[in-house]
Amino acid sequence: MLELRDVSLAIGKQVLVKQFSLTIAAGEIVTLMGPSGSGKSSILAMIAGDLASAFKASGAVLLNGKSLDGVSPQNRRLGRLFQDDLLFPHMTVGENLLFAVPALPLGERFAMMETALERAELQGFASRPPHSLSGGQRQRVALMRSLLARPAGILLDEPFSKLDVELRQQMRDYVFSHIRARGIPAILVTHDRADAPDGGRVLKISVGGEVQDV
Amino acid sequence: MFSRRSFLKTTLAASSLALTSRLAFAADWAFVENAAVGQTVYFNAWAGADNINAYIAWAGAEAEKRYGVKVEHVKITDTAEVVKRVRDEVAAGKTDGSVDLVWINGENFRAMKQEKLLFGPFAEALPNFALVDVEGKPTTRQDFSETVDGLESPWGMAQFTFFADGAKVAKPPRSMMELAAFSKANPGRVTYPAPPDFYGTTFLKQALFEQTPDRSTLYQAAEPGTAGMLTTDLFSGFLDELHRSLWRDGKQFPKTQAEVTQMVADGELLIGLTFNPNEPANLVAAGTLPASTIAWQHAAGTIGNTHFVAIPVNAKAQAGAQVFANFLLSPEAQAKKNDLKTWGDPTVLAVSKLSSEDAKMFMADAVPGSVSLPGPAVLEPHASWVGALEKAWLERYGRG
Amino acid sequence: MAGVKTSRFIQALGPIPVVGLFVAPLAVSLLFILPSLVDVTGFVSLFEHPQFWGSLRLTLFTGVISTVLAFILAMVVVVQGTSFDRADNVYMASQAGPMLALPHLAFAIGLGMLIAPTGLLSRLIASFFTGWIEPPQWQTVQDANGIGLIAALVLKETPFIVWAMSGVLSREDVKRAFAGQRSVALSLGHGERSIWLKVLLPQILPRIIWPLVAVFSYGMTVVDMALVIGPAQPPSLANLIWTDLNDGEVLANARGAAGVLVLTGIIAVLLGGAAMLVKSFQPLLHRNYAAPPQNQTAMGLSLPLWTIVKLLYFGVVLILALQSISGHWPFPRLMADQYTFKSWVRLLHDGWPLLTSLILALSTSAAALLACVFWLETKPEKFDRLMLAACALALCLPPLLIALGQYRLFLQLGLTGTASGMFLSHVLPVTAYVFIMLQGPYRGFDPRWRSVSDGVVASSWRFYFRIKLPLLKAPLLGAAAVGFAVSVAQFVSAQLAAAGRFSTLPMEAVTLASGSNRPLFAASALALMVLPLMAFLLASHFSKSRWKPG
Repeated sequence: MLELRDVSLAIGKQVLVKQFSLTIAAGEIVTLMGPSGSGKSSILAMIAGDLASAFKASGAVLLNGKSLDGVSPQNRRLGRLFQDDLLFPHMTVGENLLFAVPALPLGERFAMMETALERAELQGFASRPPHSLSGGQRQRVALMRSLLARPAGILLDEPFSKLDVELRQQMRDYVFSHIRARGIPAILVTHDRADAPDGGRVLKISVGGEVQDV
Repeated sequence: MFSRRSFLKTTLAASSLALTSRLAFAADWAFVENAAVGQTVYFNAWAGADNINAYIAWAGAEAEKRYGVKVEHVKITDTAEVVKRVRDEVAAGKTDGSVDLVWINGENFRAMKQEKLLFGPFAEALPNFALVDVEGKPTTRQDFSETVDGLESPWGMAQFTFFADGAKVAKPPRSMMELAAFSKANPGRVTYPAPPDFYGTTFLKQALFEQTPDRSTLYQAAEPGTAGMLTTDLFSGFLDELHRSLWRDGKQFPKTQAEVTQMVADGELLIGLTFNPNEPANLVAAGTLPASTIAWQHAAGTIGNTHFVAIPVNAKAQAGAQVFANFLLSPEAQAKKNDLKTWGDPTVLAVSKLSSEDAKMFMADAVPGSVSLPGPAVLEPHASWVGALEKAWLERYGRG
Repeated sequence: MAGVKTSRFIQALGPIPVVGLFVAPLAVSLLFILPSLVDVTGFVSLFEHPQFWGSLRLTLFTGVISTVLAFILAMVVVVQGTSFDRADNVYMASQAGPMLALPHLAFAIGLGMLIAPTGLLSRLIASFFTGWIEPPQWQTVQDANGIGLIAALVLKETPFIVWAMSGVLSREDVKRAFAGQRSVALSLGHGERSIWLKVLLPQILPRIIWPLVAVFSYGMTVVDMALVIGPAQPPSLANLIWTDLNDGEVLANARGAAGVLVLTGIIAVLLGGAAMLVKSFQPLLHRNYAAPPQNQTAMGLSLPLWTIVKLLYFGVVLILALQSISGHWPFPRLMADQYTFKSWVRLLHDGWPLLTSLILALSTSAAALLACVFWLETKPEKFDRLMLAACALALCLPPLLIALGQYRLFLQLGLTGTASGMFLSHVLPVTAYVFIMLQGPYRGFDPRWRSVSDGVVASSWRFYFRIKLPLLKAPLLGAAAVGFAVSVAQFVSAQLAAAGRFSTLPMEAVTLASGSNRPLFAASALALMVLPLMAFLLASHFSKSRWKPG
């Protein structure tokens, strides 16, 4: 369960997002919408503990009941997906996946990587460089990479916006089903209503910074 | 107008004729002076000292004013570079060479003379050469045991001289043995520049002189056998022991004499060395050394020599170079050079040959830093000893 | 792909400027070295030289150690100084610029004036702690192992590597990609150390490999710096060679030429060995990338290294300034007896060296920049390998080697002592540096900009001047500034080409270094610093990014 309590965001004296609270249950995907520059991505950065110092944020973030205040970003166990796949270009696909696998015996780590490749429908791609893959393939690897780290929550920052319409639909289904199957709470940030999962909760940041259910 | 070739022949002829016919000589010198007008003389001269550079600038300005000869001081760090450049240019067939006049002596002169890279003879045909003290200062005709043959014109005198702060060194060592004892009493405070630095090599020659009972061998070309024996004696009998108490335990040496001077000024070393007896006084005047500085030569004598100017065989402004060389020999130019306030380089002229008015210009009072304990000048050994000593020294001490 | 759509004719002209200014002179100069290859007497004499093996040992020690230390130091500095939180990390590059401007020779002298037995440091200790009356017998400069030389090289090269690394990091596309990759790595549980070692540095290193090679080559072949602060018994191999090359004796010249060839071979072998080493350790490196995350928080090293380096540079400039106006200054006093501007008056009295250096630096850096941009715009990237190979030759080969060949070439062409000769001798290394500094950023220019603007800006020339040049402003100005500084610092080849007819600032400074007028020398070292310093300040001022977080 991921909880935001009285969270607000400002840059200098300008308030971007007014105080709001939100609770996301396990396996639930809440969509946060807003025009570009509204601060929706910065809310994700704040949750991840990676907010640029120019911003000022207040409020509390709790993950499974524990406050993340003072927890460093790498210890928050929050997976992230971006517009860009952000696969490391100097590593192979397999190495990109292994990079996320927790410390385990080597054999187990490789087995986890192979399973992840299978789920991404990319068997045999382990030693390929990322740039030889198609956009959709790369985004699948990126999702598998973030799931391999066994996150307790996942933050989706417009992960479909660079894909074409057909691929977008496939990718949505793919991502949502994997997240739901693992029962992880997730926030999806987007400016496109069509990205939101069917029947899921949708919030919108208005021009004045109010956050309301749509 | 004459072509350059025929002009060259004429000047050559002028030089030799001059010895026989004074009349023809005067006419020919006038011809050289005429040809020199408007020429630019590239004077390649070591430029590590400010006062020397200033003197050369003065002399150049005078030559332009008086003879219409423009002088450009080409500032160099090592005359060997010039030897190399002239050789390369001549080999490449370049007739309008980049060097018109070079400040030179010793092994560099020997190399250029042997390889026929010098113009001349011209020196003894210069009008002012008549004033040179060829009897009292035989080194004006004998450069490191190599006869000059008029291929270079004498410019100044040098004698190996030591200096120190009199406040720190009450009783200066007047021989190499005394220097060794002094160094032992003051470990780490004495050294000399590493050969093949000119001063370092001179230090070795000085030591060789003081350690060799029969000096006549040193005036002949260094035979491998004798040279080996003498250097081995010098090293095992004197230098090995001396080095133990030197700066950095004799394992490292400064690279140049200037470094030694600087370290003396800083107080890191106690004794400095120079070839210009007036340099210490000069450095006192410049504020580099304290007024309590003293200078001395070894009681039994130190190495003395003459430095010259020479014209390369492919010089472009040969007439201008001769006119400038002649001006450098004039009583006025020599007196100014002799003056501690400008450079303090001893004259090559015989003051007795000058008019009483000219002679007056050479009178000077003792100033702080001038040589208080002089010793006689000893002639340089044969130029071939330079190479032999340097090689043997490197073999024994250069490996680190 | 070439950025500007040009006619075939112009594309065919592409290589002409770089070939004329750089490739052809370099190639022909190297041809003129060949006779020395078969001159056996030179090699025999070299191997029999009593100091050869000692010099070689010393050079290997100082060259390798200084490069490795400078590289490690620069990495730590960049890691400590880069914050992905702040939008701008160009500040390190702009701070490194002025440090690069300080000529190696001047830096070595200044450092010596700080750490020598009679330097400022020992005077401070004597005055406040020990009360020494005589200077201590420290072996901080001209020590047998070349530790002083290594210190000077490390401190001088670190800012160069920092400059090169932050040049990569300050590119907008790299900056954004790295910030994103860092966020991902954090979310996968990797800490800062792991992110730098496995994600960022492995991507930066391939882009700065040429600057690193240049650093190594410089460390192995430096002449002037080693003369001042390195040992004499034996001297570094480059110093042994330089003495021989300038000797009046023919055999010594041949020995010097042989030495240049041997030194060149050694550098080639070492670089080849390093490349093979990296290749054979590649699998290991990759397994390391894939290592699981560990919970680290900080980088562990909190020593403010960059501040220490900057302070040392400040100290060097300060002591040079102080020394340039000091009269008699005996140990252990902290102040000179009197202060005077005599040296400065003397130095500025003859302004020709300054003017000559300025004209050469302006003309060569401008010519090199134009020639390189012309090449990069007209030739596809696949041909860059040829240019890079030529640059690698120009920078990896000892400056002594190129200078010697060039001198022989100029003698044949009658170019010694001419203005064209001076220009050519300076523009060669300048072009090599400018191309190396420019190639990466220029080719790394995101082609998507082109596609994005296709609909907006019709003409390809307008695209070039309105979008491409402004986006590449920082690397362009940076490369020009480096070229300018390289030109001002030229000594070995300039000295030979000038044949005494021209004097530049470093020639003047080296000449003064052989005298004992320390104030005048300090003043000339400072003057030598002013030109490149201004170039770097201008470059960094005009290349400040306008990108703000949003």
